[in-house]
Amino acid sequence: MSNSQADHIRRAVAERAGRTFPAKVADWIRDRPEGGIAVMFCIAQILCIAGALMFPGEFRYLLPANIAVTLKSIAPLGIMALGVGILMIAGEYDLSVGAQYSFLAIVCATVSNQLLGDISEEHASAAAPFIAMALVLTIGALIGVFHALITLRFNIPSFITTLGGMLLWKGATLLYHGASALRFKPTEPFRTIFGGEIGVIHASIIWFSLFAIAFYFLLHHHRLGNHFYAVGGNRNAAVAIGIDPARTKIIAFAIAGFMAAFSGVVAATRVGSIQPGGGLGMELQAIAACVIGGLALNGGRGSILGIVLGTALVFTIQDVLLLLRAPAFYFEMFVGSLIVIAVVLNTAIRRSKA
Amino acid sequence: MSEPRHALRHPQKPAHIPVDRPTEGIRPEETPLYEARKIVKRYGSFVALNNMDFHIGRNEVVGLLGDNGAGKSTLVRMISGINPPTSGEVFINGKKTDIRTRAESEASGIETIYQDIALVDSMSITRNIFMGREITGRFGFMDHRKMEEVTIDILGSAVQISGIDDPRKEVGFLSGGQKQAVAIARAVHFKRNILLLDEPTSALSVRETEHLLGYVRDLKKEGTSSVLVTHNLYHAFMVCDRFVVMSHGAKVFEARKEDTTIEEVTDHVIRT
Ligand SMILES: Nc1ncnc2c1ncn2[C@@H]1O[C@H](COP(=O)(O)OP(=O)(O)OP(=O)(O)O)[C@@H](O)[C@H]1O
Ligand SMILES: [Mg+2]
Repeated sequence: MSNSQADHIRRAVAERAGRTFPAKVADWIRDRPEGGIAVMFCIAQILCIAGALMFPGEFRYLLPANIAVTLKSIAPLGIMALGVGILMIAGEYDLSVGAQYSFLAIVCATVSNQLLGDISEEHASAAAPFIAMALVLTIGALIGVFHALITLRFNIPSFITTLGGMLLWKGATLLYHGASALRFKPTEPFRTIFGGEIGVIHASIIWFSLFAIAFYFLLHHHRLGNHFYAVGGNRNAAVAIGIDPARTKIIAFAIAGFMAAFSGVVAATRVGSIQPGGGLGMELQAIAACVIGGLALNGGRGSILGIVLGTALVFTIQDVLLLLRAPAFYFEMFVGSLIVIAVVLNTAIRRSKA
Repeated sequence: MSEPRHALRHPQKPAHIPVDRPTEGIRPEETPLYEARKIVKRYGSFVALNNMDFHIGRNEVVGLLGDNGAGKSTLVRMISGINPPTSGEVFINGKKTDIRTRAESEASGIETIYQDIALVDSMSITRNIFMGREITGRFGFMDHRKMEEVTIDILGSAVQISGIDDPRKEVGFLSGGQKQAVAIARAVHFKRNILLLDEPTSALSVRETEHLLGYVRDLKKEGTSSVLVTHNLYHAFMVCDRFVVMSHGAKVFEARKEDTTIEEVTDHVIRT
């Protein structure tokens, strides 16, 4: 009796599928939160490349050395932001990822060095840094689970739990190691796998890309990703339909902790030493990158592409300011403005659609 | 309770059962599909369900009526497992069953249209319909094409939903009635033995309401029993075989359609 109704939907769907490619892109930009940021990113790149072509002497944006440095510096924050972003989509925060980043890198270096994983040891162990890394990745995930259990068991905002966690792991870093820098020069093949370079491509950016692709499939194409969106978008609806929000959120917290640990180890491998305070403020930068990339602060909305573009845009700005020899505080001023502009744009787009 | 006003409305018809006093109600004759006995549900010190007996028979539509705050939605959520009772027993097909999560009620073939809709605004229609029950291939990856195909069928057939032509549309951009229609379509698609409808027509147009009520009546023949929660007694009389009136968390009146009149049921709903 109502098959005609389904037919008219089918026709409409077919019509939309038959749009020209530019029309699809235009709709994507208008409909998706990451569409706006993609446009901003492209404009920024075009301006930078044009500037570099016009003033090759002054503005060395296209110099391989500059590209290499920018790509390298994107990776640690990007890896962290992927975890933070997935957790945000599931409706929770992790403010402790910056502290975990330092703490777990130091644990990794200490354990690795004790197992003779330093490159200058006489009988250096090739396995030691891998063992140490596996250990801290596990600890990172467990810290996430720990935060999740407290948040869910006592039904308190994760903002509070992980604010406490941030101070706790910061203190734990000083307790465990002290305030001095720690050497981390791991043996091969660890060093190449996590710190090697092919041309301008650093290993860390490859890891970032691999994680971005893996999480793209998890978030957008796997059942679990669907549950992250459901739980973050409307917890009660998710419960009513039979999704276990506790289980879903515990997994998201574990991912955030795991990624913080991974990011810390990769950054430490690249630099060769760890400053105990190195991760301070990174949690806010990661959240900023996510918000710029179109993730909603109250959960349920966002995409992996948005997180990647948000991170990339932040570092493009940083790079440009460095090339222009602008004082460091300009960076924070720019990122600060960008956060507000991005959210204003997203809200305006949503409002015009509703 | 004001006697003169009632006297004015129904001068010749005194109530059979004293008002505001819980009643035993009707005992099921054959083993019901679902039976809850002596259900108590407390929220802290507040008693939302007080020694409530409730059953759903085979090929039956039960009308669950009562004033605002009577406990109808609490009972519906209890049956669907998301609000487990403080005490009491539940029998499915005569077998004692513990239903304390949505997963357990789903296993018993219970599907619910919740009063608060239970959709995620930031997700597409397709994703909302298959939320928690995604069609997946190997390793849990979703089969988007199949889900969309089924969604189009559902949107076209179960309930006629006006103005929806894009299964990828975000639910947050739908109208109130369209949202309700999506929630109905979802429940109708997954229904098996029992369909619970908690004020399903509150946002629907006249045409859609007629369609849904007709559908609920037809479901009986296919072997799916329903519980219809509504404030509209005419709708209830159109489709229900039995009426249960609740007040303050307890059953105050119960009668089969053939043993009562719309006036009598109305009387019990407004008196309590
Ligand atoms: N989570 C809760 N905590 C405390 N009290 C609650 C809770 N949920 C419901 N109640 C109370 O339980 C009572 C019954 O609520 P319920 O939603 O079942 O009413 P209802 O019969 O569905 O009413 P309506 O017709 O307005 O939908 C109300 O007094 C309500 O305030
Ligand atoms: Mg209700």
